[in-house]
Amino acid sequence: MDAVVDEKVLGEMRKGRVFPAFALVGWRWIARNPVATVVPILLPFFFLYFLHIITPPSEQATLFPLQVAGAMLFTTQNIGSLCLSDSAYWRLEQRLQDIFVASPLDKFRYLFGVAFSNLIPAAPALVVLGIILAYSTPVSLAAWLVLGAAIFAIWVLYSAIGIAISSRLQSQMEVWPVGNLVFTTLGILSPLYYPLTILPPVWQGLARFLPATYAALLVQDALGLKTALPAEALTDAALLVISTVVGLLLAMRLYQWRER
Amino acid sequence: MAIAVRWTGMKTFVATETRVQLHEWLAIATGSLVQAALLVFVWVLNKDLLAPALIGALIYSVFLIGQRVLNEAAYIRIDHKLNELYHASPMTPESYFLGMSIGILIAYLPPIVILTLLLEIVRPLDLATLAALAATLLAVWASSSTLGYVISTLFKDMKTIWPYSSLLTNLFGIVPPVFYGIHFIDPALRSIVLVVPTSSAVALVEGVAGMESLTSGEYVLAGVSLAVEAVVLLSFGLYWARRTAREA
Repeated sequence: MDAVVDEKVLGEMRKGRVFPAFALVGWRWIARNPVATVVPILLPFFFLYFLHIITPPSEQATLFPLQVAGAMLFTTQNIGSLCLSDSAYWRLEQRLQDIFVASPLDKFRYLFGVAFSNLIPAAPALVVLGIILAYSTPVSLAAWLVLGAAIFAIWVLYSAIGIAISSRLQSQMEVWPVGNLVFTTLGILSPLYYPLTILPPVWQGLARFLPATYAALLVQDALGLKTALPAEALTDAALLVISTVVGLLLAMRLYQWRER
Repeated sequence: MAIAVRWTGMKTFVATETRVQLHEWLAIATGSLVQAALLVFVWVLNKDLLAPALIGALIYSVFLIGQRVLNEAAYIRIDHKLNELYHASPMTPESYFLGMSIGILIAYLPPIVILTLLLEIVRPLDLATLAALAATLLAVWASSSTLGYVISTLFKDMKTIWPYSSLLTNLFGIVPPVFYGIHFIDPALRSIVLVVPTSSAVALVEGVAGMESLTSGEYVLAGVSLAVEAVVLLSFGLYWARRTAREA
């Protein structure tokens, strides 16, 4: 009898109903805390405003579409930081992960669920940035598809990194410094807001190890921005896929689903 | 005597908080990453702005101490419920608030010293500018620590604090002319940014250093607003610490 019930519950879980449940979690969070929605929308614009001011006037028009596309990737990358905070909060403060582990939910569905619930507060920012991008430069259907694929790859990878790291944290006090260290450093190293070519050679070499670099180059190429090298588009796409897969494998190795 | 009683436990709590913070070396090391990121952006996109951006990074670093006070006060109160224990001890609420703020300031001095040395390399400062820098840093610390402490008392869980903390640090650090000069700002808006603690501090230091030209009226506005905000906010913080010593 129990086995029949378990199979029934497992069947429900496998139908993917866990995503609406996590979507509801994401929605409830922003519905109860409107500032939590406003902040992810505002942050890229604060950054864009700052970059617009410090960029020399002669280069502002060229760099603006690149910076808007970069802001979209940066916003997506930051979902990883939100996933880190959320899963650490649930595990350390609310002891909720024990319940998830005891439930029929497996670790991949949990991972995607947390990533999905944190995509919801970031989604309005991505939509608004997409509209600005469309106004600042012509975007073909193929370019939208490439941008969507790059955002998807970055979302999955950085969410996995955030959740994997969170599983190793011992206290809530570690969330902020560790999240800051990982996501700010990755955000600086990848040339999301400026062309890769203007960076010193050593930095360019370091950036080549990061998936977000290939996502940025691929998107810049798809948008026809002069900053990217069209001949390398296929290589960038392949390297984005390879580095994302390698990153996911590393994150899964680091990820600790059950307490030891 | 009354003054001595008011500050009971202050020295001990400063020492405790300094030790606690120094124990979290990762937080100290990563506490300057946002400033580093912004300095990198300036270095990559417009090297001419590096010296003013370093002054901004210094002021912003001290402003972020307020965010640390917010996190620490909230963590002690919400996660550990330790503030009940502290308030039940002979230590006064004033010593609790100020001791925490001073302890965090001491622990976070190394990145500030490093930024000052970098600034000295990029643009050597004269004595008057260094004095202005020290005075403004102190005023920004007083304002931001109070803001952090007061805000920390308004929340019941740690997760809700993060978006507010992020919003505040960006509104005070990235948007106003902190990492860029006040001359980028529309003349009609100059008087507004001169009453914001972070941008008024930066404008004053850059004005004294000769990097920005401010009218005498703007010097007075920036200086008076910074000083008044520091004194009023710190006084309010001390009052609030006493008022919120016991949970409602």
